[in-house]
Amino acid sequence: MNPLVIRFVLPAVGVVVALIVLTPMHVRPDFTTDKSITQLAPAVATAASGAYRLTLWRELAPPAWKSTPPFRSEDVSKLDDADPRAQALLARMRSAWDAAPANAALNGAAIRTAGYVVPIEESREGLREFLLVPYYGACIHIPPPPANQIIDVSISRPVKGLDAMDTVWVEGVLKVARTTHDSGASTYAMRADDIEPYNGPSH
Amino acid sequence: MRTLLTIAWRSGWNRRATLALVAFSIGLSTFLLLGFERVRADIRESFSQSVSGTDLIVGARTGGVQLMLYSIFHLGGATNNIRMDSVRAIEQNRNVAWVVPLSLGDSHHGFPVLATTPEFFTRFQYGYRQRLALASGRLFHGSLDGLYDTVIGAEVADALGYRLGQHITLSHGAGGPGGIEHADKPFTVVGILQRTGTPVDRTVHISLEAMEAIHLDWAGGAPMPGVSIPAAMARKFDLAPKQVTAALVGLKSRAAVFGVQRFVADYPQEALMAVLPGVALDQLWDVVGVGEKALLALSALVAVVSFAGLIAVILAGLNERRRELAVLRAVGAGPRQVLLLLLVEGTLVAALGVVFGAVLVAVSTFGLGPWIQSHYGIVLDASAPSAAEWQLVAEIVAAGVIASLIPAWRAYRLSLVDGLSPKV
Repeated sequence: MNPLVIRFVLPAVGVVVALIVLTPMHVRPDFTTDKSITQLAPAVATAASGAYRLTLWRELAPPAWKSTPPFRSEDVSKLDDADPRAQALLARMRSAWDAAPANAALNGAAIRTAGYVVPIEESREGLREFLLVPYYGACIHIPPPPANQIIDVSISRPVKGLDAMDTVWVEGVLKVARTTHDSGASTYAMRADDIEPYNGPSH
Repeated sequence: MRTLLTIAWRSGWNRRATLALVAFSIGLSTFLLLGFERVRADIRESFSQSVSGTDLIVGARTGGVQLMLYSIFHLGGATNNIRMDSVRAIEQNRNVAWVVPLSLGDSHHGFPVLATTPEFFTRFQYGYRQRLALASGRLFHGSLDGLYDTVIGAEVADALGYRLGQHITLSHGAGGPGGIEHADKPFTVVGILQRTGTPVDRTVHISLEAMEAIHLDWAGGAPMPGVSIPAAMARKFDLAPKQVTAALVGLKSRAAVFGVQRFVADYPQEALMAVLPGVALDQLWDVVGVGEKALLALSALVAVVSFAGLIAVILAGLNERRRELAVLRAVGAGPRQVLLLLLVEGTLVAALGVVFGAVLVAVSTFGLGPWIQSHYGIVLDASAPSAAEWQLVAEIVAAGVIASLIPAWRAYRLSLVDGLSPKV
């Protein structure tokens, strides 16, 4: 074989194969913990967010709202998963979460926050609408987040290349939309002005 | 630079047979890479354009991808049907705005038959919130008078040459030779839909009641021997559907999607599941992505082989060209110019190959596009190259430049060592 083939071509092939095999492993940030969002040098934060206020997911819930309501007193840890009492508690928590109120003070607020993408509406030009949620696998493996921890984001300029459960920074104006039905629940909607990939808290 | 180009071109023209062969092989690998990228992108686009405005798809418990594939794309089969009561219970959920049941299983000349409610035509959307529209005729009403009315997709009409008023018979299951026909209950084409570029084009739509009617005298997937209910008599039976294959669900508020999804999954009377179409599609791409990566790696390896050929041919030519290079040195070309000359030559060959490959891709998408659309329902886009394709082209040309560096470097060294005193 030509020595040049051995010297150049084979190593090149090796590098290509190694690159394919060693596709990077992702770490899944949990945006319910504030650190993923706030671990920013203050100067960077203002420079990057401009008029948009950096907002934590727990701020989306009204200050008085408790995410785990009435059953603190009962000893949940002693219950088995399949126990009917545990099931009933879960069902109670579920309905409380589905009716979780939004924080009315945030209506019209220009915010910047980070979360996971759940695609909703895809167009030829790219993704047009998605739900932003604070933790990975929301809706698939673990109970879905409370209603006030979901933002329905529509994008004015469609974005290509966003997949389910990608992490993004989103900037836009929040709107608290009251749903019509009796539960009195309200939900967050946002028209996003800017969307960029989330590359860790030091962004 | 211009003289350099001319010299490179003329010198290359002298060895056109071998160089053309190399350009041809680079062209073929370009065709492979570009064609693969185009087909991959267009399949994804076709799929993601196929459903819009639907928040959840409900079906029997199976994989999310599978549920999506058979309910929207009519690929594969259902593991189980769901009861109509369950569909009604979901309709009663306070977050649910509308439910459209879908029933699949029969076919007509290989085209799937979809039984649904008339509401399907107003609720189902594709692309970005585009509604279905009629090219001619009308929709079926779902009433008993129009029990055997059918609305067909554009591709069905084109492929089979159907017009309004045409009588057609449906086949049980996938049809084909030896298949059983529902010949006793013919349908009438009352409407033809406009082309959408989605699986709707390849679908024959009937009402849920008609689906019940053609299976009245059937049991266990075969006609009951000795029992035959004439088409008109079927109207006297209870034709309310008892079970369907899947259902499309629209919500009042999209933020409620997880709650409703959980409601469906926890529905105590029947094992059901609900998927978000966008999430299911992304799951599909995750699975398909592994195969795509393997194919891309193979195509890239083919390109590497072509460039190895380029290197080999130019390197082998160097020995024969010692005189040519020596003459160039004699008339004042520095070793650097010799290096540049070889670099230009390799790049020219690579660029010619890329152009050839790109033209080949354009010609074949243009020529084969209609055939692929009618057979697989995938719209191949014969428009200008996408950003990803431009990037691929740039990468291939860059690889050509890097590959020609090797013979160029060797020529540079040689012309330093023995440039003016070739041993003949």
